Amino acid sequence: MVRNMSNKYYGEFGGQYVAETLMNTLAELEKAFEEAIADPKFWEEYNYYLKEYVGRETPLYLAERLSEKYGTKIYLKREDLNHTGAHKINNVIGQILLAKRMGKTKVIAETGAGQHGVATATGAALFNMECKVYMGSEDIERQHLNVMRMEMLGAEVVSVQSGSNTLKDATNEAIRTWAKEAEDTFYIIGSAVGPHPYPKMVKEFQKCISVEAKRQFMEKEGRLPDVVMACVGGGSNSIGMFADFIDEPGVELIGVEAAGMGIETGKHASAMALGKPGTLHGMRSYLLQDEDGNVQLAHSISAGLDYPGVGPEHAYLRDSGRAQYVSITDDEAMEALAELCKLEGIIPAIESAHALAYAFKKAKTMTKDQAIVLCLSGRGDKDVHTIESYFSGNGYLN
Amino acid sequence: MVITMNRIEERLQQVKEKNEKAFITYMTAGLPDMQGCAELVKAQADAGIDVVELGIPFSDPVADGPVIQAASYKSIQQGTNLRKVFEMVEGIRTDGCQVPLVFMMYFNTVLHYGLEAFVERCAKVGVDGLIIPDLPFEEQKQLQDVIDRVAGAPILIQLVTPVSGDRIPMLLENARGFVYCVSSMGVTGQAADFHKNVVNYLQQVKDVSKIPVMMGFGIRTAADVIPMKDIIDGCIVGSHFINLMEENNYSTEAAKEYVSTFKKEMNA
Repeated sequence: MVRNMSNKYYGEFGGQYVAETLMNTLAELEKAFEEAIADPKFWEEYNYYLKEYVGRETPLYLAERLSEKYGTKIYLKREDLNHTGAHKINNVIGQILLAKRMGKTKVIAETGAGQHGVATATGAALFNMECKVYMGSEDIERQHLNVMRMEMLGAEVVSVQSGSNTLKDATNEAIRTWAKEAEDTFYIIGSAVGPHPYPKMVKEFQKCISVEAKRQFMEKEGRLPDVVMACVGGGSNSIGMFADFIDEPGVELIGVEAAGMGIETGKHASAMALGKPGTLHGMRSYLLQDEDGNVQLAHSISAGLDYPGVGPEHAYLRDSGRAQYVSITDDEAMEALAELCKLEGIIPAIESAHALAYAFKKAKTMTKDQAIVLCLSGRGDKDVHTIESYFSGNGYLN
Repeated sequence: MVITMNRIEERLQQVKEKNEKAFITYMTAGLPDMQGCAELVKAQADAGIDVVELGIPFSDPVADGPVIQAASYKSIQQGTNLRKVFEMVEGIRTDGCQVPLVFMMYFNTVLHYGLEAFVERCAKVGVDGLIIPDLPFEEQKQLQDVIDRVAGAPILIQLVTPVSGDRIPMLLENARGFVYCVSSMGVTGQAADFHKNVVNYLQQVKDVSKIPVMMGFGIRTAADVIPMKDIIDGCIVGSHFINLMEENNYSTEAAKEYVSTFKKEMNA
């Protein structure tokens, strides 16, 4: 009895590398998810909350002064204007509606910087669900404000002391808890990672970014953009930004990973620059690992990009040549961040600033009639301490 | 594919013929150090252990509870890696110890070493079985194909859990060696508050299984398994054994004492 596995993979990437304990849970989840997305009522509800609660649609803004300076049209997809300050809420609304539909009463989530944790705690408050967020003890210290936010929203923040005490360890602990409590608990994964159907689910619930952007760009320019780009940690905003453009061969797709202190220093988070295929958190994908096959710690000034792996569809888009993946250092990102503040009056998240920094490089190879659409995935409010510390020369908080 | 009996199958056959229950321990490879770890394997073999599981430490042991996580972390810090564990096994075999050995490891360690190279090396040094908790049945084909091609390759042990339900016949259809019956939910090393319907579940597995059924997760003493004794063919102790070794400074005498007492009490 061999099941048809084809839809669980993106080329050789993806799959379900989880304990036997979770296989029936994943099967149940997949079935519920497929039924939900085939049900117009589910979408009606999802779209209702995106509009009335999240504040969608978000603008596609032509950044005039940036465009002028870099000699090509730069459009920003303003995910930073969503409720809770980033694209993360789109996915949380989708998954939590699914959880409700499945009759679950509790949700759990992992978080690094705290953004996905805050979004999950928000959704849990909205839909009256019990919420536990797993967070590395290191991250709890350096992201104190987000811990406070989650607690105000009624979530319990569980400190994880294991391994490196950061995001990957928090994810391990969330998976362990899920294996124990799956009967009444739904695990809300925030990035386009994890075992099937999570990468597919996250893409489905972040797809609104590109569906809107495509239509908005058409309305403004009467054509498709030349380049679409986004930053890539695990890859949720980028897969959402790419989704509706993947089948448009004329549109160049670029994902921007974090090069940290420089790829050559080894202190970076570019799974696709130097990583090799491996398995972690239920998926097979590119993974930073040491010479013994242990997972290597990622480094980036941006906590949201500080992840040693990458979503399996990105690995596939890279290998198939459909998308190109590049990387930007901490310094380059911070310079781009400062520039966006001064030229456009927008303080972006440090994650999003990575995409901006590469847009500036890419723009130099383009003409003034061409256009880049860039996902401004989040706002920089959460980063002000890191930003202050960086520009005052005190080194990183992250 | 020629199926020859390997050490695990041979040993469990002998245990069955004696009408006894089998006993398996788990220890994290490389603790207290490579040499000490090899001594512990041999000491347990002398004390009558039926199979020894060696945990290959990994940075992200998602199927393990705090005890094995901590042991894994410590062992990695000491420089343990797969290559060194292979050398250790080679040494154990050179010393004439023929106890069946199973690697418990995460799939990334195998992938990183290379599937072919890994299976061939296992066959060469005498690793008899593999337990890979993050490689569920549906993902096993690639590794199983390699195993089927290599003479003397280890057996890929199947895990069954209280929520496997209708998956059980599929999991057991071609299973070899023994069935690793996870007796509680979640991760290794939780207290012996076994899943509510554990007896029914063990019976369900036993009814379908053509090979020995070993119960694991959360067991400390023989008394924990005696209520299920008529159903199962043996049991596995992991986290508790590691705690015991930590408390007794990895003494070979303490290991021998624990193993022989457990076996005696279980078969009393």
